[in-house]
Amino acid sequence: MKQKSLSTRLSIWIVLFAGFIFIAALGVFFNESRKAVRLEAINHATQILDNTVQRVTNILTEVKVATDNTDWLIKRHLDAPDSMFVYSRRILENNPNLNGCSISFEPFFFKDKGMYFSAFSLNTNGQINTIQEGNEYYQYFSMDWYQLPKLLDRPCWTEPFVDYNPEGITSQDMIISYCKPLKDDNGKYFGTISVDLSLEWLSKTISAVKPYPNSYSIMIGQGGTFFVHPDTTKLFYETIFTPTLVKSDTAITNLGHAMQAGEQGMRQLNINDEECYVFFKPLGDTGWSVGLVCPALDIFGGYYHLINAIIGIVIVGLLLMLMVFSGIISKQMEPLEELAYQAEAIASGRFDEELPKSDHTDEIGKLNNSFRDMQQSIVHQMEELKLVNEQKGRIQGELKIARDIQMAMLPKIFPPYPERDDIDVFGQLTPAKEVGGDLFDFFIRDEKLFFCIGDVSGKGVPASLYMVVTKALFRTISAHESSPEKIISRINDAMSEDNDSNMFVTLFVGVLDLPTGRMHYCNAGHDAPILIGNTGAGLLPVDSNLPVGVMANWKFTLQETLIDPDTTIFLYTDGLPEAENINHDQFEMNRTIDLAHNLQQNRVFSPTAIIERMTSAVHEFVGEADQSDDLTMLAIQYTKHHEEIKYQRTLTLTNDLKRVPRLNTFIDEVCEANGFDMSSTMQINLAIEEAVVNVMNYAYPAGTVGNVTIEVKSNGSEVSFIIIDSGTPFDPTAKPEVDITLSAEDRSIGGLGIHLIRQIMDHINYERVNGRNVLTLIKKISK
Amino acid sequence: MEVKINTQDSVTTAQLIGRLDTPASQEISGDFDNLTQFAAGTVILDCTQLQYISSSGLRLFLSLRKAAASKGGKVIVKAINNEIRSVFMMTGFLNLFEIQD
Repeated sequence: MKQKSLSTRLSIWIVLFAGFIFIAALGVFFNESRKAVRLEAINHATQILDNTVQRVTNILTEVKVATDNTDWLIKRHLDAPDSMFVYSRRILENNPNLNGCSISFEPFFFKDKGMYFSAFSLNTNGQINTIQEGNEYYQYFSMDWYQLPKLLDRPCWTEPFVDYNPEGITSQDMIISYCKPLKDDNGKYFGTISVDLSLEWLSKTISAVKPYPNSYSIMIGQGGTFFVHPDTTKLFYETIFTPTLVKSDTAITNLGHAMQAGEQGMRQLNINDEECYVFFKPLGDTGWSVGLVCPALDIFGGYYHLINAIIGIVIVGLLLMLMVFSGIISKQMEPLEELAYQAEAIASGRFDEELPKSDHTDEIGKLNNSFRDMQQSIVHQMEELKLVNEQKGRIQGELKIARDIQMAMLPKIFPPYPERDDIDVFGQLTPAKEVGGDLFDFFIRDEKLFFCIGDVSGKGVPASLYMVVTKALFRTISAHESSPEKIISRINDAMSEDNDSNMFVTLFVGVLDLPTGRMHYCNAGHDAPILIGNTGAGLLPVDSNLPVGVMANWKFTLQETLIDPDTTIFLYTDGLPEAENINHDQFEMNRTIDLAHNLQQNRVFSPTAIIERMTSAVHEFVGEADQSDDLTMLAIQYTKHHEEIKYQRTLTLTNDLKRVPRLNTFIDEVCEANGFDMSSTMQINLAIEEAVVNVMNYAYPAGTVGNVTIEVKSNGSEVSFIIIDSGTPFDPTAKPEVDITLSAEDRSIGGLGIHLIRQIMDHINYERVNGRNVLTLIKKISK
Repeated sequence: MEVKINTQDSVTTAQLIGRLDTPASQEISGDFDNLTQFAAGTVILDCTQLQYISSSGLRLFLSLRKAAASKGGKVIVKAINNEIRSVFMMTGFLNLFEIQD
């Protein structure tokens, strides 16, 4: 169903409310005015009835007075019977309202007049005729009007009757007569004087004043017979009670009784199914009662008319009000409607919908302008948001590339040394964000495994930048620096310089000499690695030192240990012990150690397996929680190969260059014994000579004598030449590479020796062991 | 180790005979100093009888080459055996010297 518009609903409510007020006011008004109208009607009708009764009474009194006045004249002039005609006539002459008058005597009252003597005057339309009435056809003394006063012995009024006159001069009208007995001085009755009133005339008189158009008067006699009624057919034949014979009606019965009893009053009842008010009052001492019947419709006719008019006006007024209000409100709401339409458009995504500026200063105008401002603000925000999202998308894309780059920088080929049986390494880095600050790296140079693990303070992009720098420095420096503490010191010096952001890196650098299992290491504030070996698992003792980047020129301490064969070095960042579950509990170091013990007891030494087990344990612990920090693990399994020595020779020389031909002879013999060809023999000679001459020239202070020992071992597949001296510590492997592509002018004279050694030999390894320089050169025997 | 120096016009030929190991390099460094005098012209190092060369020997070769370069002369290495050729290859000397068979 479509919702009606606001203006319509508002108007309907207003009109309903106004209608309610109107109904209440009109209800009170109608009720009160009805009462007033009723009261007014009662007063009015009563007054009219009183007047009518008064007039009729006056007439009746007039009749009585006239009769009484004539009474004594009759008695006085009984001696002149003909004078009775005069008196009879005079009454009519003096009272034009009277219809007739008869002065009638007992039979034979006047001897000379015979049996019948009655002086009768009749007023016919103002013409008065006087006759002697009474004969054998009209024996008046048997009539009611004559007998009644005689019998009652007092004056009385007859019921209406038709005056019958065989001579035809009397009226055919209905009349009523006032009859008074005539008595002589002795009180003996001798006749009756009767004065007639035309009932029609009386009726006209009674009905002369009509308070309402449809009101009418009635008069009933003592028996309830209608004497006066607009419906002349009812006269004399019907009584007031007649309708109750057909259908019982107590109201009518009551009214009849009250009127018969001579009461005065008012009754409200239905006559012929029409509500009427009947006012009634007795008529003097006649025993009759006059009634005024007023239809309620007549009484309240004007009132009903007024009500109808008012209701009509109210309804029309309310309808007009509805239309006008609806129109006005609708007009006032127009801008709001427009605003709503535009708001809908905006809501549907058309943010560029033009909103007109409103000049109204009312609430709607304010709303319109506020909305307009809001829209502009939203558009602005949307554009900014779009821009931010684009930037965010671009940054996300760049971060992904950065992550790829970062991951590509980490060693990712595992196993890294499938050809070697003495070392296996596995590493894994899981950044908490797109990019991370953890790092690990390893590589083998000169039979040494260089490895490091580090954690840059903080996370995300800043950390990742430091991670990249740290890793690059590690690679660069350890390319020709074999001592971990020197590697870390140089990284530290480089990183401490201009470290405005105060970032730092915890770093562990280890150098594992693969032939001997000797490990040098330096720790810069990093977590101690765990060693998992044949005899148990435990932490590697480390000096904490300071993290890299905190203080330049810090003296990092070098530590050394011997890694037993079949031991795995497990390194990790604090993302492991500090991994948090959803309750912010940490994985803790003891869980890590326990797991290491567990792995050791189950003889799990494989780097891949150890890291997998650690990873799954952490995942199980962390559960649904987000990864809180970068997590990096590096595991290095060392297995020293036990080589079978098939051939062994040793030569010791003093630091005298003249001993070089002896060396050449020795090498030639060794090469021949191990099956090297001419070309290889010469190259090996060249390499060994370079190494030995280097010792002879520089290991011992000039002028002092020292030894250089050449141990040769062969296992059948490769020959190791171990050159040992007890001179100044010197690591030839740490020398920078020469660039053989330079022109003659640019090339330095020196540095060729170590270059040739690297070119000729398959492996080169330097160790400082127990105050001696130990340089191992290995050449594979090609079959 | 023996060095025979023979000069004809602007071409000086030095015959290197034997093993040019470290002691030998010291031994013949004087001969190479002499050779630098001819470095403005063409110096031919005849290696037909050179059996072996150490890095000290290579250094002598390089010093001579540098001297020649500064004086506008040139150094030709003649008839090196395969072993020495491989050493020349390893050290990049093949690119520095004109090699003659």
